[in-house]
Amino acid sequence: MAAPVQRRALWAEGLLLVAICAFCIFPFYWMVTTSLKTQVVALESPPVWVFTPTLANYWEVLFEDKVGVSLINSIIVAVCTTTLAVVLGTPAAYALARFEFRGKQDLWFWFITNRFVSPVVLAFPVFLISRELGLRDTHLALILMYLTFTLPIVIWICTDQFRSIPRELDEAALLEGASQWRIFRSICLPLAMPGVAVSSILSFIFSWNELLFAYILAPKAAKTAPAMAVTFMEGYDVPYGKIMATSTLIVIPVLIFALIASKHLVRGLTMGAVK
Amino acid sequence: MTAHVRRKTILAFLGPAVAALVLVGIAPLLYAVWKSLHNFNLTKQAQTKFVGLENYAAVLTDPVFWQAMGRTATLFFISVPIQIALGLLIAIVLHRPGLTVFKTLTRLSLVLPMATTYAVVGLLAQVMLNQKYGVINQMLGWVGIDPVNFIGDPTNAFIGVIIWDIWQWTPFVALVLLAGLSTVPPEIEEAAQLETKSQWLVLRYVQLPFLIPSLVAVLILRTADTLKLFDMPFTMTRGGPGSATEFIAVLIERVGNRQFDIGMASAQAIIMLALTIFLARLYIRFFYREVN
Amino acid sequence: MKLKMHVSALALTASALAFGTQANAWSLEEAAKPYAGTEIEVLFLDRPGYNAAIKMLPEFEAATGIKVNYTTVPYENALGEQVRDFAAGGDLDVALIDLVWIGNFAENGWLVPSETFINNAELADPELDMADFFPLVLDAFGSWNGVNYGLPFDNYSGLLFYNRCMLEAAGFDKPPATWQEVMDTYGPALTKDGKYAYALQSKRNETQSADSFARFLWPFGGSFLNAEFKSNLNSPESQAGLQFRQDLMKFMPEGIVAYDHAETVNAFAQGDVAMITEWSAFYSTVVSPETSKVADCVEIAPEPTGPAGRKPALGGFSLAVAAQADEAEQAAGWLFIQWVTSKAKAGQYLEMGGVPARQSAYADPALAETYKFIPALVESWKEGVPEFRPRFAEWPAITEIVQEWGTKMMLGEVSIDEGAKTIGEKMEAVLAEAGYYDGKKPLAQ
Repeated sequence: MAAPVQRRALWAEGLLLVAICAFCIFPFYWMVTTSLKTQVVALESPPVWVFTPTLANYWEVLFEDKVGVSLINSIIVAVCTTTLAVVLGTPAAYALARFEFRGKQDLWFWFITNRFVSPVVLAFPVFLISRELGLRDTHLALILMYLTFTLPIVIWICTDQFRSIPRELDEAALLEGASQWRIFRSICLPLAMPGVAVSSILSFIFSWNELLFAYILAPKAAKTAPAMAVTFMEGYDVPYGKIMATSTLIVIPVLIFALIASKHLVRGLTMGAVK
Repeated sequence: MTAHVRRKTILAFLGPAVAALVLVGIAPLLYAVWKSLHNFNLTKQAQTKFVGLENYAAVLTDPVFWQAMGRTATLFFISVPIQIALGLLIAIVLHRPGLTVFKTLTRLSLVLPMATTYAVVGLLAQVMLNQKYGVINQMLGWVGIDPVNFIGDPTNAFIGVIIWDIWQWTPFVALVLLAGLSTVPPEIEEAAQLETKSQWLVLRYVQLPFLIPSLVAVLILRTADTLKLFDMPFTMTRGGPGSATEFIAVLIERVGNRQFDIGMASAQAIIMLALTIFLARLYIRFFYREVN
Repeated sequence: MKLKMHVSALALTASALAFGTQANAWSLEEAAKPYAGTEIEVLFLDRPGYNAAIKMLPEFEAATGIKVNYTTVPYENALGEQVRDFAAGGDLDVALIDLVWIGNFAENGWLVPSETFINNAELADPELDMADFFPLVLDAFGSWNGVNYGLPFDNYSGLLFYNRCMLEAAGFDKPPATWQEVMDTYGPALTKDGKYAYALQSKRNETQSADSFARFLWPFGGSFLNAEFKSNLNSPESQAGLQFRQDLMKFMPEGIVAYDHAETVNAFAQGDVAMITEWSAFYSTVVSPETSKVADCVEIAPEPTGPAGRKPALGGFSLAVAAQADEAEQAAGWLFIQWVTSKAKAGQYLEMGGVPARQSAYADPALAETYKFIPALVESWKEGVPEFRPRFAEWPAITEIVQEWGTKMMLGEVSIDEGAKTIGEKMEAVLAEAGYYDGKKPLAQ
């Protein structure tokens, strides 16, 4: 008697899971298929599900519309800002985890607050400053501005990670006369690598996805991929296929990274609030 | 227990990070405050002058600003409860034993929406919600619903934003709550399962206390992200039709970037920031007490 | 000695001769020699006129050694990108000026008056012939306060595109001549079976102000401003026009406030809408079988008239040299602008999908058979109003107001009267701040 009920429950559960997956994945399916349609097919009404795919949109956006260049810009910016965030952030995280000093709590609050500041608050002043400094339309301007969110992520996750390393290890080293810097470099940092990796991936994803700073600070030479995608929205003509091809190219790298880091993504997104 | 560390060492470890954040975070902010006290328009730089708090007075009495704030709050109060309800349902299902492979796959697919570039979500929404060529209207047609004009009608456009906000962030809520559920000690949970068949009772009395931290985290982050929400409505509706989807960040961008009134946009941004910090502090005090 | 003098006299004569004939001897190649290798930066839009220019560029670059770097942006971003570039001292060398930006750009000192180059014999093409541009277009697109800065490049007039097949099926053998006919006879007859008589692009951006709001002010005798620069939107004429637009919505597809050019042109090209009033530049889109299902049925007429006459929508872009460019870039920029808008290139530009503003380009009556829009265009450019949308520096602020409240009106969120009042008040506040009412600024629009 119990078995069929349980089996039915299992079926219902399975069905629900399939529905959830479909809900999450379907937009991607539609994005990719639309990117393979010609403009005429994309504008069929009602939309068609079976058609002859073409790679023409990819060809066009990558080479004619300079999406290729913008993807390279995105990579440069995301990699540099992530590296910088790790270099600056891991020592700070170590200090927060290991040292006692006055104002530690406040400093920690301040770091956390950065997560809440909207880019729209900083974008205009940074635009004005960057024109004074000649940094407009350079990778450097974006790399620096992206530190406002990548650095806190690295500090967070790595502080947690350093805390989880037993203190006995550094105390032993300290007794042997090692400097704090040496302990950090040679003992703790290698042990904290998982945290460094996760925070790097998250920094990369956030930098890659950023639109507002990119849109205002890097109009041309340093234009990143999301800012590029927006430029296709000309009221004159809406090339659905090209827009979706660009979108696909933008989204694929982050999705791969997100899947790699999927176990830690939640922790990263919640700034370590949930372990 | 902790070894005494010299000030210089602490400074060496923390200094660079703090300096960097001051440089890119605080300095522009102070500059924004300074500009917000001016009548400063990029296209009328000759007429730039110090106006004190005039911009702030103008913003605080500007119905457009408050309407945008109201819209942002409405979005929050409609979509976050739905996200929590759906997310909790998904988390509970995933938390139950059995169908392991299926559940791993589901967990992976949940990762996709929340990592998707926000600007792309808006573009995707535009394509899928189109009244004529959109697949969503085609699907509605299959169940006998007439095509809905999502982008062109103020209420529907707002609903469209809600739908996509739910699409992108329900998985996030689900995964956060799932992480929370995994903090419930298995023996307590098993004991409760033996006591009662009611999933509801287990949730209410056994699991919920462990879920509180996750729920608070969700509330904090969704509040911050809703206030920041820019990319998706910008690429989907550009704040339209009319002002139907002009959320606070979209409004500020328009004033600064299209009207070039950087003084006014800065004042709006500073007010929003003050509100954000107030809410963040409130939440953080309430929740992130664990440090030390 | 004697011989020497003779030779030098000869040389003198020769150089005098050369000087005298320099006008005839002017060539682009010669003029560009000092600037070979110069790169000039310009913004382009993704529209037919620019695509035509892009196809023509290799010829210019080969002849001059000047490299033209264009960046394609959506119209909606073009103003912002340029303002930020000019305000930040960026690298744009040539400004792309929508007619409503001219006052703004000129008053900020971002543009170099074209006179600077016209008076420079080394740079000015003797065939420049400014008088050959349609005077209305040259004046509206490129000039501000009596000074010319830009040469008309991507030129539009509003035209009535109509689907002859649909009109004939409904018993009409000609397009509507007046807006009243659209309302009384064409509208009811053509709106049926899921098809609509007319679509008016009205999205909340420049489209709302230029294509929708202003289009129904002028033919009804209305205007944005009166002679004292106060709002004229609550005058009986303006109100009648705006009310007319509101009433006409029953013959338009629902959700018309979300229609931008793309949606409108596409609705027409798909055969869902019988008539649209669109820019001449869309001609190639609606007659190409690749993008249009109704290519064979497309006909073109001037826009219908209102009680106050035709006053069709006027819009378009000129190119001007940016003041922030260095000397070589300015010269190279001018050579490019002069060349791409020249009489000599107008025919080729037209052939490749552009719409030149050269009167001589349309002189050949045979052209009207290939390009059906020509007679209507020439007709429209005779009757336009330069201040169809005021072109002063305050327009970017005012258009935002019109966009917001114009769409609210159409959505029925405010009444015509209230909406017009609100726009009027906000517009006057902008103008007051700019100093128009205390005599600080001349009342130029």
